[in-house]
Amino acid sequence: MSEEKERAELLAALYAAGAASEEDERELAALLEADPGLKQVVQDFEDSIAALASSFEPLETSPKTLGKIKKQIAQEKGGVVARLRAWFSKD
Amino acid sequence: MIAEQQARDPVDIVAAMAAGDSGPALNAFYEQYASMVLALLMKMLGSRAEAEEILQDVFVELWRRAPQYDSGRGSVVAWVITVARCRALDALRARSRRHGDRQSEYSEGDALVTEGGRPDVLVSSTRWHQALRQAFQRLSAEQRAVLELSYFQGMSHGQIADTLGLPVGTVKSRILAGMRSMRTMLPVIHRAMKA
Repeated sequence: MSEEKERAELLAALYAAGAASEEDERELAALLEADPGLKQVVQDFEDSIAALASSFEPLETSPKTLGKIKKQIAQEKGGVVARLRAWFSKD
Repeated sequence: MIAEQQARDPVDIVAAMAAGDSGPALNAFYEQYASMVLALLMKMLGSRAEAEEILQDVFVELWRRAPQYDSGRGSVVAWVITVARCRALDALRARSRRHGDRQSEYSEGDALVTEGGRPDVLVSSTRWHQALRQAFQRLSAEQRAVLELSYFQGMSHGQIADTLGLPVGTVKSRILAGMRSMRTMLPVIHRAMKA
């Protein structure tokens, strides 16, 4: 593997692992513009680490949590509707 | 029957949520991912109460962001994990600000453990999880340690080097080796995720 490819793959790995510095990210962004094939490497690394993160033994959630989520969403929905109504009722 | 099968497709579920369905679609989405997300949050935060609280935030955020989900940019599970991880890292940073720097007493032996049970309430392990755990056994302890600190603790390569007492170059090469190793497992991972 060429030195450039090796460097690009390293930056992709650091980025997907969440360990890239801002400078690394800027360098990776420039390389992605020059080599669209690198995007697949980044995506493969991201998929891999996401799979690792999803591999822990699943835990049963509290029965109340879904209800709380729905309540919060309902409030947000209400908020949007209220804002839209206010906007449409403007003179 | 067809409608029932379609409703189980994660991309369709997210599309329904994006259209405003906070009933059956949200129920199905929650049922599919909540226990997985809670396990990740517990792994990152170590507190059941805090993990349950963040779980709520994560699902509200996922529902809110559903219109922006693009299946061309990655799987639903990767999207869910990314949002959950970001929320957990926010919570870790907030905790760090409250209590001062937390990390320092880390050794490679603490690396993420994907096998075995925990004292928390477990739901039955699926074939998916068993296959994934088998795949990740191929990572060395050193590779798991650096991935643990970067992905699950939000450390930069410099911070990992300080924590483990290793040269930065060694940390980077272990991250790359771990990522390469996992990439070779992708076909197995994808099969497991479809199972």
